[in-house]
Amino acid sequence: MITTKDLTKTYGGQIALDHLNLNVKAGEIYCLLGANGAGKTTAINLLLGFIEPTSGSAFINQLEVHKNPKATKHFLAYIPENLMLYPSLTAVENLDYFSGIAGKKLSSAALKDVLEESGLQPDAFDKRISTFSKGMRQKVGIAIALAKDAKVLLLDEPTSGLDPQASNEFGIVLQKLKTKGVATLMATHDLFRAKEIGTHVGIMKDGQLKQEFVVEKITLSELEKCYLDTMKYEKESV
Amino acid sequence: MFKYNFKYELKQLLRSRWIQLMSALLLLLFGFATYNGLQKVEERNAAITTAQDKARENDKIMVKLLDSLDRELEVSIPSWRHPTNPMVIGNSYPRVAAMPAETFAFVATGQSDMFTHYKKPEVYGFSFIEDFTEMTSPVQLLFGSFDLAFVIVYLLPLLIIAFSYNVLSAERESGSLRLLGAQPIRIETWVLQKLGLRFLWLSVLVILTLLMVFLALGIPPLNKMKAFLGLISMVLAYALFWFALAFLINLWVGRSAKNAMSLLGLWIVFVLLVPSVINQMGSTLYPLPSRALMINEMRGTQADVLKNVDEILDNFLRDHPEYAVNDTTLQRNYWHSFMVAQKVIREELQPVLDNHDQQLRKQQDWVTQFKWLSPAVVTQEALNQMAGTSSQDYENYRQQVLDFSHEWRNHFVPMVYNNTVFSKEDIENLPHFEYQPLKGTFTGALFTVLGLSLFVYLAGILAYQKKSRDIILKTE
Amino acid sequence: MISKTFSKETKELLREGRVLISLIIVILLLAVAVFISARQYQNINEQYKVAQQTERANWDNQGAKNPHSAAHYGTYAFKPKYPLSLLDQGVDKYTGTSIFLEAHARNEAQFSAAADQTGLARFGDLTPDFILLFIIPLLIILLGFNTFTKEREMGTLTLLKSQGISSFRWIWGKWLALFTPIFSITFVLFLIAGLVLSNLKDFGVFNWSTLVTMFLVYMVFYAVFINMVLLISAKAKKSGIALVIGLSVWIIACLVAPKMATNFAQARHPYPTAQEFAEAVQMDKEKGLDGHNPWGEEAQQLEREVLAEYGVDSLSQLPFNFDGYIMQKGEEHQAEVYFKHYNHLKTQYGKQTQVYQTLAVMSPFLPTRFLSMSLANTDYGTHWHFNDAAEKYRIAAQKLLNDHFAENSEYGDWDWKADANYWQELPSFEYEPPSLSSTLSKNTSNVVLLGGWLVLSFGMLFLTVKIK
Repeated sequence: MITTKDLTKTYGGQIALDHLNLNVKAGEIYCLLGANGAGKTTAINLLLGFIEPTSGSAFINQLEVHKNPKATKHFLAYIPENLMLYPSLTAVENLDYFSGIAGKKLSSAALKDVLEESGLQPDAFDKRISTFSKGMRQKVGIAIALAKDAKVLLLDEPTSGLDPQASNEFGIVLQKLKTKGVATLMATHDLFRAKEIGTHVGIMKDGQLKQEFVVEKITLSELEKCYLDTMKYEKESV
Repeated sequence: MFKYNFKYELKQLLRSRWIQLMSALLLLLFGFATYNGLQKVEERNAAITTAQDKARENDKIMVKLLDSLDRELEVSIPSWRHPTNPMVIGNSYPRVAAMPAETFAFVATGQSDMFTHYKKPEVYGFSFIEDFTEMTSPVQLLFGSFDLAFVIVYLLPLLIIAFSYNVLSAERESGSLRLLGAQPIRIETWVLQKLGLRFLWLSVLVILTLLMVFLALGIPPLNKMKAFLGLISMVLAYALFWFALAFLINLWVGRSAKNAMSLLGLWIVFVLLVPSVINQMGSTLYPLPSRALMINEMRGTQADVLKNVDEILDNFLRDHPEYAVNDTTLQRNYWHSFMVAQKVIREELQPVLDNHDQQLRKQQDWVTQFKWLSPAVVTQEALNQMAGTSSQDYENYRQQVLDFSHEWRNHFVPMVYNNTVFSKEDIENLPHFEYQPLKGTFTGALFTVLGLSLFVYLAGILAYQKKSRDIILKTE
Repeated sequence: MISKTFSKETKELLREGRVLISLIIVILLLAVAVFISARQYQNINEQYKVAQQTERANWDNQGAKNPHSAAHYGTYAFKPKYPLSLLDQGVDKYTGTSIFLEAHARNEAQFSAAADQTGLARFGDLTPDFILLFIIPLLIILLGFNTFTKEREMGTLTLLKSQGISSFRWIWGKWLALFTPIFSITFVLFLIAGLVLSNLKDFGVFNWSTLVTMFLVYMVFYAVFINMVLLISAKAKKSGIALVIGLSVWIIACLVAPKMATNFAQARHPYPTAQEFAEAVQMDKEKGLDGHNPWGEEAQQLEREVLAEYGVDSLSQLPFNFDGYIMQKGEEHQAEVYFKHYNHLKTQYGKQTQVYQTLAVMSPFLPTRFLSMSLANTDYGTHWHFNDAAEKYRIAAQKLLNDHFAENSEYGDWDWKADANYWQELPSFEYEPPSLSSTLSKNTSNVVLLGGWLVLSFGMLFLTVKIK
């Protein structure tokens, strides 16, 4: 569902993403690990079509992103690191608006069902977003993805700034989506969360994908060691 | 998408009190401006009515005097002021040449605070370089009037800027734009819809508040439907231009603060700078001959003619034997020389005066040629025209009064040279002044402003295509 | 501490594109405006000189003539342009520039420049005063709207607080950083204007002290604006809000308040229309002596009195020509009528001025506007001053002519002519505009108002803004 072929992005002489080749299938949760500036967000921005690749190409559901900017977005949902919604509108209204402009018309009962599925407390449905915490906003973001029946979910540091409980709840919702066959790409620097939620893990450094693992075949401590080795290896080689 | 934008834009506008604030402001501004405009119109019409009443009174006295003189009764005034002398009629019983206010005169003060609205051309005092300016404190002229045109041309754009400069940038800065960018929509269409909706609501508010103000202040908009619709369409076209500009700047520039600054800069350019530059260039390219030097020339001519007035009168009478023949008394008094001297001076000065008018016309043509550079100028002129208070209106009035004064003087020429005695029967033959207003249309102005809006909109689309990819992430 | 804040703010301003761009634009506009105004100034003064000389020649060479005919022929007084109009055109565009001085009538100054231009003239001109009064305050807002809000938005405020700085010095540093560029631009402008004017040939009444006073007025005006902008920036929650509030203040102070004042002034203390004025004057004139109407009641009365005074039976026995005498007496009556009616106008204007000063509470722009044009001698007051001087000259000229007629001719001899050389005896019309001290003393209320704004805004700024 999510595919990149030699996806490269340079800014001036600076390489932000260097020949990235990824393939995330339906029902997989792929976690991109890496330090700040490793190229994780660039990859996601390219998949969203927010920036144009210097070379190579990105595909969503076999459609090339920068040739079909509008069509590819029918299949994807995106939750940025700090999800902002319209503060003067309620949760239901925000959901109605975003799914509405994406072309999904839902009845008010259906809207509430989706919000419930995303884990939001029912008493918050008709409250304005301006009173919401980050975790609650993120749930509305999940609801938008659910309402859209997205086949692809792009997540940029979704758990940063969440308290452990909210972070845990978020993981549970992602598992639910996984079973529905959604392909998820998640940028994070949280090793623990990646091991817990993900099916696959990739370690990035300086725009390059250095190592890939299938999560089931590796323990947390092995993953941590590999991660730190990758960082150190690069440092020493310079 | 439109349905959802429509629904939630309205909700947000109501919840952020945008609509409430806008309605209150518009009501206040339109109300105060219309009230001021009406006050001025009332003042103007009252002055004209008073003058006309006085003239009618004066005429009644004249009829009475003529009656008494006819019956050879004693009258209380000296003989040189008897209305039996046609020159007394020509000088002391002038007609009122008035320029009454048009229905929508309250919309724009225009030049109405500078020029007079009635004249009483007489044979003697009415000069060739008659001044048509009104007795107004120059401080008032400098500051201008708080009229509807000011609210529309100056303030409405600022209201529009205040509420649309950050339509896109605020979403980018708050972060909601990233979420929108992940939806299968075109961002420029989304911005267009959002601004379009704001324009729609502003239009509704403008129409409603204007209707309310007009009804409250006793102007029946329904009787003058065409003029009212014209006013509304001009205002909305002008507002559309500023929304188009906001569209362009939102797609082109970036951060909210920069957007605000760019839009304000453009406001200064269109509302303050372009008009003054066009005006200044017009008066530099087609300078009006110095009035002081014109006075010199007039005085020179006047002196020459006065020195030779006897000879000139002889020549005139030779050329017009009909006057000599009918003049049985062969009496020549002051008026005989005066009339002929005036005629000669006027003829000699005509080229100077024509040159003056011609330069002014060239300036006006220059302005017409370049005014499309600023929709503020186009709108102001259209509103002035609607109100009948534009320069052209006053120029038209001036010409009509000058023609009338000519007619009035010429009416008495044969009487003077034939030494006719003025009688009651002659009253109804006296020339009469009726102001013919200009029949201006503002469709040209309307289409100019709409065209400019379209141009700016297309530039906005172009701007988007040039930098469409980084529109969501752009930080600078 | 003050200098640290100052240099940090100045660096920030200079490194930001908007500041540099707006400064460059303002300087360019100023250059164009000064150039245009200087050209116009020279042009008009040349025309003025030619016109004055030609008119005098017309008068001197009118040939042998009865003095009263000459009085009807009349002469013109032309209003010159004053050096500081280079900086502030004031109401010059809207006042007439030439007054016809003739027997029996006080005429209004004719031919204002605005009446001889297209309607666009009403939008305003690109002149230095436009930039000084409108654009530079706007520049202050653009430079300073986020002075305090940005510290809060970037989070540097907490850091500053932890450094334990004093509010007073902090504000003062920021104030100076904003004032310095504004001061520099204005200073350079005034310096150039001063140099240009002192190098122009016969610059007449130009003196540096007036220029310096005018500069001070603008500095106070800008200080008030800076105080307001800083106050807004300190009180607003966000930069965007500070900008919108700042602009609203600008619109209200510079655009709305003057126009509102105009409407209130005219509605409450209206001027008569030109026609009404003329008619009222005519009516009053007819109530008194008319030199051209020896059959009138007042003339008869005067005749009896004069005969009694000189103890003679007929007018021809008088030691002077009664025709000239009665003409002069009539002239004096008419002059009084005009004096009364023009005084009424002045009273009305005085009341209107009070309206403007009341609204100065809303707008520091108003007292600045009035002070600036007063100093430049382009205000309404100078126009009145010129009008009065011309009227005084007219009355004196009429007296000279009438007396000459009365003393040198016989009663009833209307054919008598004064010598062709006689006209040169009329002194030429010389006009001196009000001096700096008299301008200032006439404008004390404006000085007080502007000073009040300065004190109040400084007080508000330093007393209410605390680093917290």
